[in-house]
Amino acid sequence: MRRWLTPSFLFMLALLAGAELIVRVFYQSSMSGRFEYGYSPTAGFVENADGTVNLVHIGGRHFWPQTFAMPRPPGMFRVMVIGNSVPRGPSLATSYPAQIGDQLRALGIQAESFNLAIGGNGSLRSEIILRQALNYQPSLVILHVDNADEYEDEREYARAQAFKSWHPKNWLMKSLFLRRLYEAKTEEVFWKWVPAEVRVLADVNDYGNKTLAGENPATRREWADRVRRYTAESVALARARGVPVLLLTGAREHDDGHGGFYLDDRGLDTLVQPLLGDGVYFLSMKDILQKTDFVPLYSDGTHLHPPGQAIIADAVVKKLLAEKIISPGR
Amino acid sequence: MSFISWQYALFLPAMVLLYWQLPWRGRIFLLLAASYFFYGMWDARFLALLLTTTVVDFFGALAIAGQRQSTAKITGIGLLPLAWLSGCSLLYSSHASIEKWILVAAAVFPLVYAALYQWLWRLPVARQRRAFLILSLGSNLVALGFFKYFNFFAASLEAWLARLGWNAGWTLPHVILPIGISFYTFQSISYAVDVYRGIARPSHDFFTFAAFVSFFPQLVSGPIERRNDLLPQLEKPAQFEIADVHRGLRLILMGLFKKIFVADNCALLANYAFDPKTHLNGPWALLGVLAFAFQIYGDFSGYTDIARGSARLLGIHLNRNFNFPYFAASPSDFWRRWHITLSFWFRDYVYIPLGGNREGRVKTFRNLWITMLLAGLWHGANWTFVMWGGYYAALLTLYHATPGLRRLAEPEKNPRGRLMAGAVLMFAFTLIGWAIFRCKNLEQLAGWFAAFGNWDPTVDWIKPFYWWLFHVVPLLLLQLASWKSRDEVEFAHFPWPWRGLIYTLLVLLAASSVAPDVEFIYFQF
Repeated sequence: MRRWLTPSFLFMLALLAGAELIVRVFYQSSMSGRFEYGYSPTAGFVENADGTVNLVHIGGRHFWPQTFAMPRPPGMFRVMVIGNSVPRGPSLATSYPAQIGDQLRALGIQAESFNLAIGGNGSLRSEIILRQALNYQPSLVILHVDNADEYEDEREYARAQAFKSWHPKNWLMKSLFLRRLYEAKTEEVFWKWVPAEVRVLADVNDYGNKTLAGENPATRREWADRVRRYTAESVALARARGVPVLLLTGAREHDDGHGGFYLDDRGLDTLVQPLLGDGVYFLSMKDILQKTDFVPLYSDGTHLHPPGQAIIADAVVKKLLAEKIISPGR
Repeated sequence: MSFISWQYALFLPAMVLLYWQLPWRGRIFLLLAASYFFYGMWDARFLALLLTTTVVDFFGALAIAGQRQSTAKITGIGLLPLAWLSGCSLLYSSHASIEKWILVAAAVFPLVYAALYQWLWRLPVARQRRAFLILSLGSNLVALGFFKYFNFFAASLEAWLARLGWNAGWTLPHVILPIGISFYTFQSISYAVDVYRGIARPSHDFFTFAAFVSFFPQLVSGPIERRNDLLPQLEKPAQFEIADVHRGLRLILMGLFKKIFVADNCALLANYAFDPKTHLNGPWALLGVLAFAFQIYGDFSGYTDIARGSARLLGIHLNRNFNFPYFAASPSDFWRRWHITLSFWFRDYVYIPLGGNREGRVKTFRNLWITMLLAGLWHGANWTFVMWGGYYAALLTLYHATPGLRRLAEPEKNPRGRLMAGAVLMFAFTLIGWAIFRCKNLEQLAGWFAAFGNWDPTVDWIKPFYWWLFHVVPLLLLQLASWKSRDEVEFAHFPWPWRGLIYTLLVLLAASSVAPDVEFIYFQF
C-alpha cells in the first residue's frame, strides 16, 4: 500500500478531504441551496430560534441583509417587494422598497417594507421567492414585473440541473468545497478584476449570448409568454392567501437617435392588464417617469439612481393611499 | 479528443487499466485502436491520411534498408486507407468540410506507391536507397505542404498577381488542416532519414510501427519522437513500475494546472489585447503580450506534460519539450529550452545537412536563416510566422556577431547578476517575438508597436494586471521551487508535507479556474 500511495499524495488527499468535510459539517447552512442558483425555495431565508427571519446573501440569493419578525407584529403594515436589479437598487437604504417604508412611517403609518429583489431574477425565480415570502404574512406584495431577465432564469436553471446531474463533466464540482472555491474566485476575483469588455470578448459572461437571444423575435415571444404565465401564477398565489398585489412594470430609457431619449415599457404595461382585478393594482414605471426629466434618473438605461428610486417610492405610496390600501394614521 | 475533456478523463484510466492486463502483442493492438479512436474523435476520415503516411514510411524504410517486400503485401496493407475511407463514407458524413477528392487521392496513394515501389527496385543499387528516401520524404512533404500551405501560397500568389494587374480568378479547393499533421509527418520523416543514415533499424512489424506513428499521447502536438527513442519501447513489453505511475500523475497534474489555470486565464487578456477591434494603448499592448507569453507557454508545455504523463502511465517515456524557457539567457539558449524536440529536429534534419557551422561564418548565418525561416513557417501558413522565424534568425545572428551579448549567456564567465540581466534581456526579446507570432497580419503588428506611443491613463489596466499576476506568480514560484531539480515537475528535494501542499494547491487552482475551455494552441500547427 505504501508503495502505491506516497505520503505527499496521502497528505494532499487528507487536505482536500478535510476541507470538504469542514465545509459540509460547519458551513452546511450557508451552502444550502447555493448551487440551485435561485431555484431553492428557502435559500437566503434563515429562520432563527428567536422567531426572526434573516435575509442573507447566500445560495444564489443575493438579498440585501435584513431582519424581520416571523409572525407579523400586530398592527404592522408589511410590504414585500420582489423583482430584479431595478428594485434591488444601488443600496438598500436608497432602493425604492426601503424608501416606501420610510415614506409610510413619515406619514405616521406603522409600516415596514422589505427588499426581496435580486439582480438577474426573472419571473419564475421571483415566483419561487414569493412562495416563501407569503409565509411571513405580508400586507402587500409589490411585484416588479420585467422581461429583461428571462435569459438568466433559463441559464441558471440549466446550471442548477447540470450541477445535479451525474454527467462526468460535473463530477469534480460535486465537491462543495471545490465548487465554493470556484464561485468565490468568479465573484471576488474574476468579476472585480477583469473588465466587462474582456469578459464579453472571451464569452465568459453571457452578455453577448443574451443580447443575441434578445434579438430573435421568437425568443422574445417566448420570454413574454414566460413573464405572462409566471406573473399570473404569482398573482393567483398571493390572492389565494388574501394578500393584495401591486404590479409595477419596468421601463427602459432609449436613445431616439436624434439626441433625445424615450421610455420603453417593452409591452409590459399591456401584458399585465388581464391580471388586474380585485386586490390587484397596477403602476407603470414609464407613466411615473414620463412626467419627470427622467434622463438623469437612469444610471445605465435600465437601473435608477437614488433620486429615481425615490420618485418610484413616492408614486407607490400615493397609489396605496389613493386605492385606500392603507390610510394615514393607521 | 482533448486532454482537458471529461471524455479523456474516462478514456485514459480505462486505457491504462486494460493495457497492463494484456500481453505485449495485445498492448500494441490496444494502443493502435486507442490512438485511432483518440484521433478519430476529431474526424475519423482523416485517419485515412494517417494510415497513408504510415504505409508509405513503413515500406519506404524497409526498402531504404534494402529489404524488398512483395507487391501483394504492399497492396494488401496499402488498401487499408481506402477501405477505411469507404467505411467512413458509408457510415456518416463528417462535420469538417473538405472536398472528397482530396481525401480519396490521399487514400489511393498507397496503391500508386505500390506500383512505384516495384519500379524503383529496377534502378541501379547505388541509387535505390536514395530514391526510396526521396519518395518517402516527398510524399510526407507533399501531404504537409498541400494540407497546410496550399491555400496560403495560392492566395498569396493571387494577391501578388492582382498587384501586377492580373486577375488569376481561380477557385481554390476547400482544404482544412488535419490536426497533428505537422507533428506526425515530422516524426515519420525523421524515421526515414535515420534509417537512411544507418543510425536506426527499420521496423518489421506494421502494427508496432503504426502505433509508433499514431501514439495517442503525442500524436497531435508532440513531443516529436525519434525512432530510437520511442520505437524500442514499443517493441518490447514495458515493465510496470509504480514510480512511473507517480511521475505520470505528477506530470498530468502539472499539465492541467498550466493549461487550465495559467494558459486559459491569461488567454482572456491576450485575446482582448490582440483582438483587431480593440483600441490598444501602451499598458494593454504590454499586458497583452505578457499574457500571451504565459498563455502559449502554459498551453503548450501543459499539453506536453499531460502527454508525457499519460505515456508514463503506460510505461513509456517521452522526451522533454520544455526546460524553463523564460529563464533562457540567449536566443540559442531559448531554443534549447522551448519546444526542444522541434528545435533538435530542425538542427538534425535541416541545419546540419545544410552544413551547420562547419563552412565559415557566412554559410553558418545562411544556414541559420534558412532553418529559422522554415521553423517559423512550420508553425503556420502566415507571413507573420515566417517573420517570427526571421526575427529569431536575426537575434541569433546578433548574438553570434556581438561578443558582449554572447558572453551574457555563458554561466561560467558571468556572476549571477549578469546572468539574470541576460535572462531579462532575452525575455524582453521573446516578448517582441510573441507579438509578431500572435498578430494576424503586419498591419496589426504595426498597431501593436504604435500602441506604445499612447499611455492613456484612463483605460483600466491595473486590475487586469492583478489578474495576470494572480495566474502567473504561482507558476513562477513553482518554477523557482523546481529549479534546483532542473525539472519543471520535480519537487523531490522538498520534504513530503511541502510536496503534499504543492499538489493540493495545484488541484485547487486548476479547479477554481474561471475561463472557458480553450482548445490547445498547437493543435492548429
